[in-house]
Amino acid sequence: MELQDTYYNKSEYVETASGNKVSRQTVLCGSQNIVLHGKVIVQSDAIIRGDLANVKTGRFCIISKGSVLRPPFKKFSKGVAFFPLQMGDHVFVGENTVVNAAVVGSYVYIGKNVVIGRRCVLKDCCMIEDNSVLPAETVVPSFARYSGSPARLIITSLPEATPDLMTEFTKSYYQHFLPTATV
Amino acid sequence: MAYLVQPDYVKYVCSCGQMKPITNLYFCRHCLKIRCGFCICHEVDSHYCANCLENMPSSEARLKKNRCSSCFDCPSCFHTLSTRATMVQPRQDPASGDAKVENKQPKKMYYLSCFNCRWTSRDVGIPDQPVASGGWPERVNPFANRFAQLMEYYKAIAQQEKQEKLDKERKKFAIRGNYITLTDKTGLTGAMARNRAGMPSSESTSSAIANFVLSQATEEVEELPDDYHSREVNLKMITTMPQRLASPEWQAQQVSRLQPIARPLSVKRSQRCRQCDHNLTKPEYNPGSIKFKIELLAFYHVPEVKIISYETIKPGVTSALLLKLTNPTAHEMQIQLIQPNEVPEIEEKEEPKNIEKSLEKSLNLEKDMSWKSVVERKPTLPSAIKVNNPELTFTLAQRDDAAEYDDDSHHDTNDIILWRKSNKLALRLQLTADENAKVGLPAVAVVALQYTYRNTVPPTSTQPRDHTLYTTVTIDLGIVSQ
Amino acid sequence: MSHNIKILPGATVCEDCTLEGDITIGGGTVIHPRVTIIAEGGPIIIAEYCIIEEYSTIIHKKSDKQESPPKALFIGAHNVFEVGCRLESIFGHIGENNIFECRSFVGVDVRIGSGCVVGAACCLTAQQVLVDNTVIWGSEHHIREALEKQPSQLLQLDFLSKVMPNYHRLRKPNVHKRQPSRQSTEPAK
Repeated sequence: MELQDTYYNKSEYVETASGNKVSRQTVLCGSQNIVLHGKVIVQSDAIIRGDLANVKTGRFCIISKGSVLRPPFKKFSKGVAFFPLQMGDHVFVGENTVVNAAVVGSYVYIGKNVVIGRRCVLKDCCMIEDNSVLPAETVVPSFARYSGSPARLIITSLPEATPDLMTEFTKSYYQHFLPTATV
Repeated sequence: MAYLVQPDYVKYVCSCGQMKPITNLYFCRHCLKIRCGFCICHEVDSHYCANCLENMPSSEARLKKNRCSSCFDCPSCFHTLSTRATMVQPRQDPASGDAKVENKQPKKMYYLSCFNCRWTSRDVGIPDQPVASGGWPERVNPFANRFAQLMEYYKAIAQQEKQEKLDKERKKFAIRGNYITLTDKTGLTGAMARNRAGMPSSESTSSAIANFVLSQATEEVEELPDDYHSREVNLKMITTMPQRLASPEWQAQQVSRLQPIARPLSVKRSQRCRQCDHNLTKPEYNPGSIKFKIELLAFYHVPEVKIISYETIKPGVTSALLLKLTNPTAHEMQIQLIQPNEVPEIEEKEEPKNIEKSLEKSLNLEKDMSWKSVVERKPTLPSAIKVNNPELTFTLAQRDDAAEYDDDSHHDTNDIILWRKSNKLALRLQLTADENAKVGLPAVAVVALQYTYRNTVPPTSTQPRDHTLYTTVTIDLGIVSQ
Repeated sequence: MSHNIKILPGATVCEDCTLEGDITIGGGTVIHPRVTIIAEGGPIIIAEYCIIEEYSTIIHKKSDKQESPPKALFIGAHNVFEVGCRLESIFGHIGENNIFECRSFVGVDVRIGSGCVVGAACCLTAQQVLVDNTVIWGSEHHIREALEKQPSQLLQLDFLSKVMPNYHRLRKPNVHKRQPSRQSTEPAK
């Protein structure tokens, strides 16, 4: 099935020169530390905690409503630090999802109501299904599908064409994310 | 696109009869047929640990029982354990004279800890380690000796049987093969090579069978403790079934006896067409890589059919269906929609049998095609909904990555072709549902595509470059409603 | 509803959060933006060195069984409320060093000791008592007992209270004198 158009209120969103569409109803803390690499959609009530550490996303990422991107915390033998949160291109983050990961690769699909624990590493091309909980410091390998609480690998891996599928998905999501004709 | 998150609305019929979405299908460029995971051969390419992403040679993997040597899973919840460091002030040892200088430095010690259930290696009294990875005490299965004996015994028997079979075959044909299938599944290669060279089979074989001691049943069984049935049970102290089964060698009954489980390895696999033995997919060696050396997916070779929208299906009523067709290849494609029963049957070419064949067979070299009869079946295609195909052959342009930026070519649109965009076009089709279609049952339309395909494999002089191929597609249109 | 919010010196409380009713926030506690704390059934007292992260909700629910004057909900020191968790207690006391992980839910009938971990997305609704050092995890709510208490988050708190004022508008502490009598008498009931 083709994606249906999603409409948004034009006055609610700010569109930057590089094509990012960011809702005014988001909390972007420490916005000087947040880099959205272009054509990124950040929907209402999302929180990006740039004040704790740098947050970088690639191109064509979708941060859905109510999700929280939060750099993870790590205690060392000498002092403490928040790790920067890096996200690749073509990443989808579902609604009300909490991402505490250290690295999220490219072509990653994270469903809704997911909790990604601290310092997780999500490799390129993986999928976390809806309502999963990924405990802290999990490494999700490429083409893996994780589901459940605590999330476990499920047998059916992602198809080999996942990079193309995710690219098409995020691009067409962006193309179908349109302002309402009349305000 | 939305294949990952949506149900599979459009399914293709694989040449083995299975119906799968296009993303799960492969396309063999040598047989020019669609293949699926069910009818191809899966092979292990390399072993790696999914946690530390270290490759492990397969010989080493076998030695380590396909488990990583540095990563551990939690025995309590099976999540990966993390190494944590603590500063420990080494105990003051009055006996040593030079302790004063060294002991001022606190020493770093490591222990394993689970972030999911908060289990730690300290819970079960495993001493902290001075190095970050490795060095964790290895446990030996109490029955390791017996296990090794059994393995040896069965290996010997397998070898003996293989030997006998080979001798029999040889007598039959009296031809000495130039080479032998050197499967290394049972580690028999060495013995077979020795055998070929005319050396006597190793003594260990016969001695292993001769010296083997059978298991003895015993009459005396230890009595259960008296309070076995009356003792109060604390569920927090007893392991669960999954916990016991996760380490079958020990099966600890008490939580306090749980030990970290070495993490099982993952594999990268390559896939091979069973008909022509060509690779369909072959991943890159690096475990972190998502690239493939060979990637013959149907998604890149077969025209893609996608639903744009459809009208609800009602019995006896004609309704509209909008489809999007995409040409994923780098060549122009001629497509015609046909009825599924118009797809010509493809004759299997029977290869002539000759002496070489029988020789091959004697050495187990001939491809075993018995799988075909097991795997292949005729798909049952529903016929309640008829697609009124337009008598029209249309051309789909090749894939062009730059084309997404220009937005022209609305030419030649008509009643049937709704729009065109580089290598995509939208079709408006008429569907007629059967009068007797049952309300409430799933409505599935079937359509077949006839398309031209240019093979880019360097052609031999006899083979044409351009082929006309067929594929059948089922389209899920919800349920038949009133 | 009377708004009576007392923030002790050393607490870091973001302005972008909803605080309703009689709430006392102890020194050293950090409250991230978009937190909701509602004291409708009685006062809420949050002790020192707690971390309350985004979208967490703490409600002191109204209840029929409530005595009057209503008992305060006392949340002990060093508790961590992770992103999106929800606590609806009517019992007077929550221990120390507990961790409420992301998107967990603790209903009205749950008593919580000290050093407990309520795992991510766990939902405790039935009447129960979590003894000290209980760990709950997973969709099947497995329970185990940890050997030791959860380590405190003092280092993180230190970092947060240094960094957060640079980026957020904060609510200023409005109680300048410590009131030891108040703090010690109320939870002791």
